[in-house]
Amino acid sequence: MLKNLCRKMFGRSLWVYHANSGGCNGCDIEVLNVLTPYYDAERFGIRLVGSPRHADVMLCQGPAMRPTAQALRRAYDAMPAPKLVFAIGSCACGGGVWHDTYNVLGPVEKIVPVDFYIPGCPPRPEAILYGVAVALGLADKKTAPVTFKQAELPIPRYHPGDLRREGDMIVYTKVETWMRQPRG
Amino acid sequence: MVARERLTQLKQRFGPAIQRADLPAEDRLFVFVDADAVRDVCRHVFRELDARYVITVGADDRPYSGTYLVAHNFAFDRDHVLVSVLTHVPPEQPALDSISDVVPAANWAEREMRDLVGIEPVGHSYPKRLVLPDAWPEGVHPLRKDFAMNQVPEGLDDTREFAFDEPPPGCTVVPFGPFHPTLDEPAHFRLYLEGERVRGCEYRGFMAHRGIEKLAESVMTYNDIPMLAERICGICGCVHNVAYAQAVESAAALRTPPRAEYIRTILLEIERLHSHLLWTGLACHIVGFDTLFMQCFRIREPVMWIAEKISGNRKTYALCLIGGVRWDITPALKTELLGVVDTLDREWRPVVAAVSRDKNIQKRTRGVGVADKTLVKNAGLVGPVARASGVAIDCRRDHPYAAYDRLQFDVVTADDADVWSRLMVRMHEVFEATRIIRQCLDRMEPGPLQLPIHDELPAGRMGLSSVEAPRGESHHFVITGENNRPRRWRVRAPTYQNLQGIPAMIKDQQLADMTISLGSIDPCFSCTDRLETVDLRTGAARVWTEAELKQLARHTS
Repeated sequence: MLKNLCRKMFGRSLWVYHANSGGCNGCDIEVLNVLTPYYDAERFGIRLVGSPRHADVMLCQGPAMRPTAQALRRAYDAMPAPKLVFAIGSCACGGGVWHDTYNVLGPVEKIVPVDFYIPGCPPRPEAILYGVAVALGLADKKTAPVTFKQAELPIPRYHPGDLRREGDMIVYTKVETWMRQPRG
Repeated sequence: MVARERLTQLKQRFGPAIQRADLPAEDRLFVFVDADAVRDVCRHVFRELDARYVITVGADDRPYSGTYLVAHNFAFDRDHVLVSVLTHVPPEQPALDSISDVVPAANWAEREMRDLVGIEPVGHSYPKRLVLPDAWPEGVHPLRKDFAMNQVPEGLDDTREFAFDEPPPGCTVVPFGPFHPTLDEPAHFRLYLEGERVRGCEYRGFMAHRGIEKLAESVMTYNDIPMLAERICGICGCVHNVAYAQAVESAAALRTPPRAEYIRTILLEIERLHSHLLWTGLACHIVGFDTLFMQCFRIREPVMWIAEKISGNRKTYALCLIGGVRWDITPALKTELLGVVDTLDREWRPVVAAVSRDKNIQKRTRGVGVADKTLVKNAGLVGPVARASGVAIDCRRDHPYAAYDRLQFDVVTADDADVWSRLMVRMHEVFEATRIIRQCLDRMEPGPLQLPIHDELPAGRMGLSSVEAPRGESHHFVITGENNRPRRWRVRAPTYQNLQGIPAMIKDQQLADMTISLGSIDPCFSCTDRLETVDLRTGAARVWTEAELKQLARHTS
């Protein structure tokens, strides 16, 4: 339903506003990259604007932080409805590696309602573009669910012998079949 | 050994006040001095021996030595020596004479120490809260060892507002940020305007303070921290990654294999390439030259792709472990990287030519945001900002690390000290970076990538490392510790010092020039703020009054 609503409301063009609430800048630069010649989001009518009052979509980067929480909320409130929020990057989606430190509140959904999540550290420009396109119904969702198979814990100490050997790869196992199995 | 000469000089001058000294290497000196002599020693080192101020580090050393530890770090760039002046501060009443009146560049570092470790800088001219958020209660210091990494202190009050200073009479207040179109990151400036002229400002930043240092000291291990360090900043992450690894290696006296050093150098220069191209694009965007913004990003993109092919990620290369690197440059990658730098060189030349002749850019940047040599010295400005003022400091040459001591390159400088000079310095450094990459690829010999380490790293050793980031010197200070993690890790990003020069740079300028002046230091708030959000308040008048500046000038002459 949201997809249809998006198609209807945002079909022609999408003006985005990006708000970094305290991340490392990596996602900002990739968002900027999306607007430049190789990725060129403007061909989809996506345009970066400077004020939340002009925007349809807010792109959130960085975790929810104690000092910026209120400002982020105010920026969200300033956007005219209907509005969408994208959480871009691991910090915005889940709080990142510092999700529980003393100055971090966690993922941005603790402050503003998030509609779409684009994970990655940072997500590639293609991923950001694809995420926006999927959200708007311009592209179909294609990814298979995967699980991350962690090497044995505890995380290696500095002894090189304990590290993964050369040639050992982190294994992503497709769990499509697993997903289809009835769960008891 | 110059470090030994410096120590002899200090001993002759201060004699019994020097408790002990460590000379772990030819280019490192640790001097322990009495608490009441620290101000005099620092003045002597900064003014008479003409050292460059780097950073002040406060550490909670109570579980180990029973005291707090304060380190004032200085760099002798011409002599290639990094010096740390250390003092033990008694735990009952943690206070130490402020050095910010003799070393103005220490202003923020001492306020940060007061916020986070709770060591009071006695006699500080402006001891306002810097790093901690508004809501944070007084008297709670997150970097003390008895404060847990994820603790929420009692008395946290989210409704508390920051107490900004009164604006000067007759001035209008214009807020700038925290979310502003020309800022990628959150930071707040309160500009005091008289008509269109900026008469002063107050800075409330440290909004991206994520408690990284605390996190590292509490839960991470030596080999996890490089991956955390590169997430301090999404643009110059590899710099922090390498600087941390080098600081630990310097503390534990480990020597990385030569091939690993070359690979570190190559990745650092790849990062400089993408950062300088990004900055040039953004600077052009700020002054309204969007065509060049697009061109810069077009030229930059292949650099990102080759970085991904080498390391598996476009940024955050996850390069270093203690004693080595994780990625190799295979012959295929070498050929491809050579192709990328050749194309980049070819495409970058016309851009430099176009910018050099562009009258509009010159009109927007010449004579704007001037930082003269006195400001560079007093505020401790680093990197392209210092080099554009004719101060030829470059850690790659002055404090060689990785493979830089075996390579030929020029330190690019300019003399006008304005935004235009910084633009020119950065644009020409791109050619030096490609030159370095070519030399590395040429000279790299096959060999191991990782130094075998079989023993626990010794605890209680100190290590310093300075790495020339695209924005200037990134300085890491590490005290090794137990449980496979450091006791204290302090990061000083280049923006930390450069931002302190901003109030002086924008004073009496047009409001419209504020954004490019700020942009010209290539500000990286996430680096600066890494520890905690703090409210920063500067204002040129606050940092140095004119009288103070005159006094300082007299002092040096």
